[in-house]
Amino acid sequence: MHCQTGSWGSYVPTSTRSVGDPLERIERLASENAVVIFSISTCCMCHAIKRLFCGMGVNPTVYELDEDPRGKDMERALMRLLRSSSAVPVVFIGGKLVGAMDRVMASHINGTLVPLLKEAGALWL
Amino acid sequence: MANHRVGETGLSDSGPSNHHHHIPYAVLHGMNAPTSFIHQEGSAFDFGELEEAIVLQGVKIRNDEAKGPLFTTGRPAATLEMFPSWPIRFQQTPRGSSKSGGESTDSGSAVNTLSSKTENQLEPESPISKKASSSDHQAFDQKPLQHQQHLQQHQQQQQQRLEMASDTSRTGISQNQSAKPTQEKRRGSTSEKQLDAKTLRRLAQNREAARKSRLRKKAYVQQLETSRIKLTQLEQDLQRARSQGVFLGGCSATVGNISSGAAIFDMEYSRWLEDDQRHMSELRTGLHAHLSDSDLRVIVEGYISHYDEIFRLKGVAAKTDVFHLITGMWTTQAERCFLWMGGFRPSELIKMLISQLDPLTEQQVMGIYSLQHSSQQAEEALTQGLEQLQQSLIDTVAGGPGIDAMQQMAVALGKLANLEGFVRQADNLRQQTLHQLPRILTVRQAARCFLVIGEYYGRLRALSSLWASRPRESLMSDDHSCQTTTDLHMVQPSQNHFSNF
Repeated sequence: MHCQTGSWGSYVPTSTRSVGDPLERIERLASENAVVIFSISTCCMCHAIKRLFCGMGVNPTVYELDEDPRGKDMERALMRLLRSSSAVPVVFIGGKLVGAMDRVMASHINGTLVPLLKEAGALWL
Repeated sequence: MANHRVGETGLSDSGPSNHHHHIPYAVLHGMNAPTSFIHQEGSAFDFGELEEAIVLQGVKIRNDEAKGPLFTTGRPAATLEMFPSWPIRFQQTPRGSSKSGGESTDSGSAVNTLSSKTENQLEPESPISKKASSSDHQAFDQKPLQHQQHLQQHQQQQQQRLEMASDTSRTGISQNQSAKPTQEKRRGSTSEKQLDAKTLRRLAQNREAARKSRLRKKAYVQQLETSRIKLTQLEQDLQRARSQGVFLGGCSATVGNISSGAAIFDMEYSRWLEDDQRHMSELRTGLHAHLSDSDLRVIVEGYISHYDEIFRLKGVAAKTDVFHLITGMWTTQAERCFLWMGGFRPSELIKMLISQLDPLTEQQVMGIYSLQHSSQQAEEALTQGLEQLQQSLIDTVAGGPGIDAMQQMAVALGKLANLEGFVRQADNLRQQTLHQLPRILTVRQAARCFLVIGEYYGRLRALSSLWASRPRESLMSDDHSCQTTTDLHMVQPSQNHFSNF
């Protein structure tokens, strides 16, 4: 499967609701697809994580927070969720939070990532 | 001869404390021989023999004089025994003092005078000078020399010694009463023969002990010397390696201009390398000793923690000086050649290991290959991410028309800050890979595996050292013969780099 380096295919337009808990929104968006990545278009680490999934044959759903009107709120919510100074990249698989780059890589190395992807239906082998 | 004073403590239990600041090596190791102090400088004059002379002399004197009561006074005996190396001189002194004291038979006072005098003495000459301080000892100045000569002859035969001792003692014998307790060796036995045997045995033991302590000291000094040489060699290697790095790389960190964060890390890293050696020998001995799995597991986990430590240190260093890590200035040249994102490339390490590991089960083979595959994917992802960062940075630094210079720099700085993240993730990948290995392998396999890893990097470091010390280095030294040889001559490597071979 050819991975695009430009805008990612599954950019979902945001709903017109102006009021709403950012975290709720995050969780809702995360549950809508097998693999969901929250990213910032200029972030190089986000680029790396996208490349990782792409290299595995997974087609993730990516939300660029800098291109979303409520992105800032969501960023802050993610920072609180991860208890980290950087909100992105963050990965959800099967609606469940996996974590940032270090957690994703660790789970790939220890062999738990692929079964998780298969379970979520993101990988077929 | 200046060590005579130290011999004071040898024979008695009540040694004065003033000798402690002069503690020779032997004392620290519990040597209980007066001769050990005396022999410290390897003096040709054998004081062991001398001591025998005194003892025998005293025995003779005592038995001749048959002054029983003096036996029981412990103090006089102890005091006089402190100076076995100045037998004749001290016999003069007590005679002198007792003479000045009106030939008192009170050995205690005479001896006390003696002890007080001798406790202050540091030089063999001082007894004489002390004597001079008391009344009319000029006459006795002759005696020490005479006795000295006699004493030197004593070394030849024990019998002669006995005779001459008795002779010399008899010349001044009327005043020499405190000499009797000298020879009281705090032994209760009455027969002269028994005393001799015990004394002789003890003296022989002392001599032996003294000899052993001499040898020990020699070995210790030699050890220190070789360590010193090793240290200077290491420092030279380090300097050479650094200057090589500067010459070849033209990196930001020049010799003497290294950032403090980098310097601190380098120091910690060299300490870590020493620890690495220790862990490796632990692994080696653990494997050879066929330890139980649980014991071996402890060692293996210890080695993993050891690696966790260096990753932690690198994390700290990445905050202060990421360039130092990412350019590999903390490693040796050969390692730098294979550097990936500030360290080793995990998939390359796995590839190297596959050929070295024991026969693996099918499941283990799958596990290892799967590990190699996933680390390759992760490496690729990080590499692409870093490439994007580099491209972005190029764009920023290149700038464009109408770009504010200050802002341009600020943006560039912001982008540079992301480097730390990549080095951190790369280290994370390395750490996870090492942690995964013992999950796939058995304990023994894991131990062997880590040993292979440690030895591999040890050889890489040795290779760097060899490379640095080949003749080409004339470019860096004052030697003007510019050799452009590409042959790798077998130059003398520094000792430690070959410790892994």
